[in-house]
Amino acid sequence: MNRKPIRVLMAKPGLDGHESGAKVIARALADAGMEVVYTGTRQTPQMIVNAALQEDTDVVGLSILSGAHKELCSRIVSLFKQKGMEDIPVIVGGIIPDGDIPKLKRIGIKEVFGPGTTTTQVVSCVQSLVKNKSQHPRRK
Amino acid sequence: MYEVDFLKELRARLTEWENTALKERLAKIQENKPEFRSGSGELITERIYTPLHTAETNYNEDIGLPGQYPFTRGIDPVGYRAFRSPLGFYAGFGSGESANKRYRQLYAAGSRDIGLALDLPTQLGMDSDDPLAEGEVGKVGLAIDTAADLERALKGIPLSGLKTGTVGNCIGPWALALFLVLCESAHLQPSQMGIRIQNDPFKEYTGRGTFIFSPTVAVDLASDVVAYMYKVVPHWEPQWSCTTTMRWGGFTAAQEVGFGIANLICYAEAAQAKGVKPEDYIPRVDLHMSSDNDLFEEVAKFRAARRLWARIAEKRFKTRDPRILSLRISTYTAANRLTAREPLNNIIRSTMHVLASMLAGIDHITAAAYDEALALPTFESARLASLTKHILNHENCIGHTVDPLAGSYYLESLTTQVEEKARHWYEQVENMGGAKAAIDSGYYLKEMAKGQYQNQKEIESGERKVVGVNTFVLDRKVPIPLFKGDPKGEAKQIGRLNKIRQKRDKARATKSLDELSKTAAKKVKGEDLNMVPAMLEAVRANATEGEIFAALRKVYGEYRPPAVF
Repeated sequence: MNRKPIRVLMAKPGLDGHESGAKVIARALADAGMEVVYTGTRQTPQMIVNAALQEDTDVVGLSILSGAHKELCSRIVSLFKQKGMEDIPVIVGGIIPDGDIPKLKRIGIKEVFGPGTTTTQVVSCVQSLVKNKSQHPRRK
Repeated sequence: MYEVDFLKELRARLTEWENTALKERLAKIQENKPEFRSGSGELITERIYTPLHTAETNYNEDIGLPGQYPFTRGIDPVGYRAFRSPLGFYAGFGSGESANKRYRQLYAAGSRDIGLALDLPTQLGMDSDDPLAEGEVGKVGLAIDTAADLERALKGIPLSGLKTGTVGNCIGPWALALFLVLCESAHLQPSQMGIRIQNDPFKEYTGRGTFIFSPTVAVDLASDVVAYMYKVVPHWEPQWSCTTTMRWGGFTAAQEVGFGIANLICYAEAAQAKGVKPEDYIPRVDLHMSSDNDLFEEVAKFRAARRLWARIAEKRFKTRDPRILSLRISTYTAANRLTAREPLNNIIRSTMHVLASMLAGIDHITAAAYDEALALPTFESARLASLTKHILNHENCIGHTVDPLAGSYYLESLTTQVEEKARHWYEQVENMGGAKAAIDSGYYLKEMAKGQYQNQKEIESGERKVVGVNTFVLDRKVPIPLFKGDPKGEAKQIGRLNKIRQKRDKARATKSLDELSKTAAKKVKGEDLNMVPAMLEAVRANATEGEIFAALRKVYGEYRPPAVF
């Protein structure tokens, strides 16, 4: 199979600066053969959506540890919708209380990863999200 | 340290032991790993340690006595025999009222040492109604926009005799002004309170991320705080040079020592350039370190840090003055080692981290709470964490003798090895031009990312065992009571902020902001000015934090770090 590598945008929305987790995941995805762009910290939802558009991203990964995940995720998901980019799956990792996970999934977040997640889990999640998507290609 | 004949005899005996007792045992049983490495992975741990490992160690030169050069055994001759560690807390969340409730609870339960945790917008010099602050107000700490917010947070708590302060690493001059204005409005002499401000911008470019300005500007502003405090409130603590979050982010034990010393040297010289001599600076500051998993490597790390500091500072400042050569270390235990799975296990982990600090005679210990991997601590989990050291002290007799592990073949050998490696890391940084250059070039970030990735790979391959995570895994979650925030805090805080903006003397506020910009511009041109007086006037004039830092951002711009992984 000779298809182009999966492109992932790894982003840190909000003001939280703890980026170790985001970097570990970015590196693991890159080691798995994906093309990863890391935004760095302190990104607004608008900046993330723009970056996803510019980078022709297949999957967006968000890392949030500050507790502001509900506000930030819903803002990002609705911006994607506004731009007609809701077919780009968004996944989230960080300190997310169990009770909030169903809420995040309800607004359209595809997967939520907490502490203790392995990089392998994230890699295979991204791969399967892209696989599912290619079976239902983006309508333009 | 030993006679030549004795060592020769020992070497022969050891060889014989290896060929007999050890060989026979290894024929029957396999050790758990082919090689045992220290917790931070940098050192290989041998099967046994003997006088052969410490033969090169000179007791008087390398170990000595507590309170004396090279301070390996501690900076205090009596150590924990005069145990004065406070029942300290670092807490805060929501708007003033909810934080105030927690502070009152802590005070009522006997604490007189309450550090104020600030939310991210506050740590970043933003108002609560800044568009970027949406959703973040009051989340990881207390929201402060003006002096009134600090007053509200501490309302009803007797300020006289209270020790408080905050991290505020990139907002140091503003944080200092807030506490000075708090004293003014409470009609207190500053000497009646104890204030600690972490005021350590380096930490933000590496581990924590709440930087605002470039490292050069940030160090300049931080040393303004040091110089101002030294002149006006000399008993307040102006800075802790902090390696905790860098260690959590991937540094090894020896890197923590080497890079930590490089950072502290940079701060000490910045203070010196503003007229605060090293003998006046060093006694007022801490090297604030993590306390990680490998008990012995950590004890060795703290002892090595004190010894290496003494040796480096002796040359650097050309002095034998014990005020400069004795390094005070404080710790915040390794929150990064706490797991979200079976969180009660974290109580054991934090206890061991506290024990490592105590066996090294650390002066001020803050233990991470067992629920920190999941949420902000509850009152109960925070209290438990803070009581850990008191239990170890009062019930486990840890403090009966000073530096109890000294002389252990293993520990002294480890101390020497950590010191050697740390010296290497320190020299790496010095060769690239010091701590500021190491940050500017992304060197620290690269080293951290390397360590963190390595750690994650080891956990995933099972090489690094974490109980409940990759070994002894339970097939269900163990629920614990978790802290719930104040969801209405943000709106309330924004309402108050608007009210202050309408009520205040507008001309005075505008003038004070103008003065801040002017001061910054003059500083950029090289004028020897301190930012704190202008900051004090702005806080008194009820200029909001966001306005204050906007006035400075106008001149200094904002820093963007390299996004490396």
